Amino acid sequence: MGCRTMRAFAALLQTEMLIFLRDRISLFFTFLFPLIFILIFGFVMGDVDQPTARLGLVSTTAESQEALADVLAKSGVDSVRTFEGELELREAVFMRDIDFGLLWNGTSLEFSYNPNRMQENYAFEQIAAGISDAFNLRAQGASPMLPIEHIHVGTEASTRWFNQMVPGVIAFSILSSGLFAVSGHLTAMKERRTLDRMIVTPMPPVALLAAIAAVRLVIVYISTLVTLGISILVFDLSFSIAWIPYTLLVCCSTIGMMGLGTVIALVVRKPSSAGNVANVMAMLMLFLSGVYFPIEFMPRFLRTISWALPLRHMAEAMRFTTGVADMAVTRFWIVVACLLGLGLGLFPVLARYVVRPQRS
Amino acid sequence: MEQPTLMQVTDLVKHYGDVRAVDGISFAVADGAVFTLLGPNGAGKTTTLEILEGIREPDGGTIEVFGQRLRRVDRPTKQRFGVLLQEGNFEPHLKVREVLTLFSSFFDNARSPKEMLERVSLTEKAGALVKNLSGGQKQRLAIAAALINDPELVFLDEPTTGLDPQARRNVWSVVSDLKSTGVAIILTTHYMEEAEALSDHVCIMDHGKLIAEGSPRELTASLGQETMIEFAANGTSNEDLAPLQQCCKAVRTAADLIVVETTDLVATMESLLAWSKIRGHELANMTVRQPNLEDVFLSLTGRRLRE
Amino acid sequence: MKDILQIARSHVVSAIRERITLFWFLIFPVFLLVILALIFGQVGEEGEITFQIALANQDAVSSSFASAMIESAFVEVSSSAAPGKEPLFRLRRPGPGEDIEAFIEAQLLAVRRGRLAALIILDAGSGESLTTDAPSEAAPAVEVHYSEGNAASGMAVSIIDQILAGIDRGMLTQAGAFDPGASIPTHKAYVGSAEDEAPYVDFLLPGIVVMGFFMNGLFGIPGAILFARDQRVLRRYWVTPLTVPRFLAGISLGHLALCILQFALVFVVGRFALGATVNFASLSAALVLLLAAATFMAFGFLIASVSKTANSGMAIANILNMPMMFLSGLFFPIAGLPGFLRVIVHVNPVSYLADNLRASLEVGAATYAPLVSILVPVAWILVSSAVAAWRLKWDVGR
Repeated sequence: MGCRTMRAFAALLQTEMLIFLRDRISLFFTFLFPLIFILIFGFVMGDVDQPTARLGLVSTTAESQEALADVLAKSGVDSVRTFEGELELREAVFMRDIDFGLLWNGTSLEFSYNPNRMQENYAFEQIAAGISDAFNLRAQGASPMLPIEHIHVGTEASTRWFNQMVPGVIAFSILSSGLFAVSGHLTAMKERRTLDRMIVTPMPPVALLAAIAAVRLVIVYISTLVTLGISILVFDLSFSIAWIPYTLLVCCSTIGMMGLGTVIALVVRKPSSAGNVANVMAMLMLFLSGVYFPIEFMPRFLRTISWALPLRHMAEAMRFTTGVADMAVTRFWIVVACLLGLGLGLFPVLARYVVRPQRS
Repeated sequence: MEQPTLMQVTDLVKHYGDVRAVDGISFAVADGAVFTLLGPNGAGKTTTLEILEGIREPDGGTIEVFGQRLRRVDRPTKQRFGVLLQEGNFEPHLKVREVLTLFSSFFDNARSPKEMLERVSLTEKAGALVKNLSGGQKQRLAIAAALINDPELVFLDEPTTGLDPQARRNVWSVVSDLKSTGVAIILTTHYMEEAEALSDHVCIMDHGKLIAEGSPRELTASLGQETMIEFAANGTSNEDLAPLQQCCKAVRTAADLIVVETTDLVATMESLLAWSKIRGHELANMTVRQPNLEDVFLSLTGRRLRE
Repeated sequence: MKDILQIARSHVVSAIRERITLFWFLIFPVFLLVILALIFGQVGEEGEITFQIALANQDAVSSSFASAMIESAFVEVSSSAAPGKEPLFRLRRPGPGEDIEAFIEAQLLAVRRGRLAALIILDAGSGESLTTDAPSEAAPAVEVHYSEGNAASGMAVSIIDQILAGIDRGMLTQAGAFDPGASIPTHKAYVGSAEDEAPYVDFLLPGIVVMGFFMNGLFGIPGAILFARDQRVLRRYWVTPLTVPRFLAGISLGHLALCILQFALVFVVGRFALGATVNFASLSAALVLLLAAATFMAFGFLIASVSKTANSGMAIANILNMPMMFLSGLFFPIAGLPGFLRVIVHVNPVSYLADNLRASLEVGAATYAPLVSILVPVAWILVSSAVAAWRLKWDVGR
């Protein structure tokens, strides 16, 4: 790395930073997009995360009222509202004033659900099953013989799915940033022939790439901190961040994703299409890597595919460094090393084959 | 023989804030003639044309075309116009033939796309996507689209700017073919050769105003029976040139050239040679020629048409 | 008329030839449909989902009857499955001669790391407490270790709880403390006109259709118009007799054609690949679809009219995309939202159109009154059109 390279790097660093800051659209996407995502999901899914179960109750008999009340109190429903009659009960379920209803007429228990709430009814039915079992026992004066204790394994932070989602979203924003740095920004420069103008000078390609990487790194790092901060402030989430692994993860991921962007830029002939392909790829990864919804629920073949997706590993590593989930330490460092290797390994390819004059 | 006037423009005005892009110009376009607006960049040619084409609102003045007085060019009039814009594109993902089919659907009467493609020699490109065409091919397509309705009055805004010499020649031949069919053409250009080669009537514009008009011949003749001697300036100052002023009609400088206008070639040459000996001036790149429109412009404004 | 048709044709042809548009507007909705159907459609389906669990019986030495029964119950569940399907649980137990403590340590780690859904530990000494009538409060007999934030884990635990409750009842019955014959029956019912819960894909398909139309209008319309304007493609039209209203008519027709194409593809996949039973061949459904296409098209014009350049238009579309899709009840329940977000839901035309479509297809009952779910989109059309008519610039001017 000669003196010329350093000077070029310094100048390009400044230029790239200015370009980035002045492009309000890029700036917005890097900072605000993850935030909007988190905010919307936080509010929408916050409910799914700590599901509230509001039960409506109609008892047409005075029998076993105390037993029923007792069972309901221990059952996991958040609130019980009593109604006058069946019609009011069903109306309330329909209007979503309550989540499900229970009609006790002395001989049978009837639970009513809102058919529109398909995804949530499963959870309500579980609660209903529990109520049914417990009530049956109480009605006969028996109590459960097996004392069962549920113990949560893991940190406090890992008890909420939403807590796990935030690092996933951050991982995604790192992926976008790195990916589009090459298949987006650089390829646009290539297409606009801005790159050509630079190449015909003695500017070393390495300096340009390093400048682009450096700017992206700094911006992404700041944006991840902002996202974490807002999550903590607005949603009262808790993270315990291991700063060194976290920083290393952010850096190596960005570099690794630039490597992935290189692959796209090499394979796709037209520079303008590279950005689109990167967009599609990012979107597919977003859905299949356990960021939006848990991997466990995907069919087996999709779960297998997700192992090959960098985002899955980045998300899990990010959850690890923010103290939200556990991961084998060896695995963490392997992931980090692979990402770094992907980026650095493809770096010379990037410098030689992508930073090249655009042939018309 | 006076041809009937197809279009009469009177006191046309357009301003943008304080800037008067078109500052009260008037002219008449005769049927079957090629009428050229000649001027440097920023003279107001394109703005004028855009007003006449109906895509810009004038701030003042009247337009009379096809015997009708209009404030703003309307749909029935557009049926009879053919317009080639200076800047414009077609949908990149349409095929050449599809573009022409599309445009032909806008008019009540139009020729077939096939015919038009032949006319501009684009037949082999009929199935090509617009985004894969070269600059010259796109221009030819644009001409085909402009003429698809057999217009009576055709607007060509800077038709050859940015084209290579071959492409330019192609366009010129299309224009002269068109002229031979009796169509009236309004052309704008900043190329003097183009104005001279194609036009029947030239209006020279500068800073929004009409500064001269007439046929190319009339305009150059306005400079008198003169010969122009041109040579490279090479840093000669105005004081150095002072002695020359006496032995000729006029001496003008424009950028890197000195142009000496004279009605007596021999006498001026003698003085010039003497002068060059005394000053030690090389008289490099010397040309002796007839006056052209460039000279007319220079004499009127002190600047060149093309900077 | 032919000019309008030609403009429509050009719009459709250009969209299809542009590969990236093709992806977002055809392939992406189908992809989303398939993924969501596969994932959420499986929840609660037997044989479609398997949980990894482990069981450590620390009571094995004293071999109490109860813990052996529990263990064998789980073994039973893990080995029985409908033909061709997977069992509900895959059970891990300590191997012969394996140290139980080490096994427990390893499995706890696996739970923490998300590799195991739950670990059941049958505590040593549980045998004594179960021989008496009153269970001992002091010594936990069964410990279920799980990961609370892990959705699969949570689900596995609720199933485990049910199994344990069944075992518990069995033991009580054996002890004579419970009579299963006298148990109180439980019924399940659904409110509204539906007989039963519709299959998830029936619920999902209308939502995806509406989403597809939404993305068409949100991205397709501003994209087409703004790029055409900025590249001065439109200007070439304005020097011909083509007028803006006719151009708009052509674009609208083209947009409608694209929506139909998209709907056809999504429907075919939903019907023939995912087994949706929903029937779109009704007048009310067709009208709602038309309304949706029109609403989102008008919305697209609105976006185009507030964007200075094509790039800023696309950026605005991207920004609005997510909130409008997610704050509409299309995919996620919107019950627990705070006030200000609730407002967005109520203003969002997507919410009403999706609801209306589902209601007219009889997939669940409507949440909004039918009149309201027509009026709101219509209001959007009127407002969007008015703003666009006032503000949309059809030419780049100096």
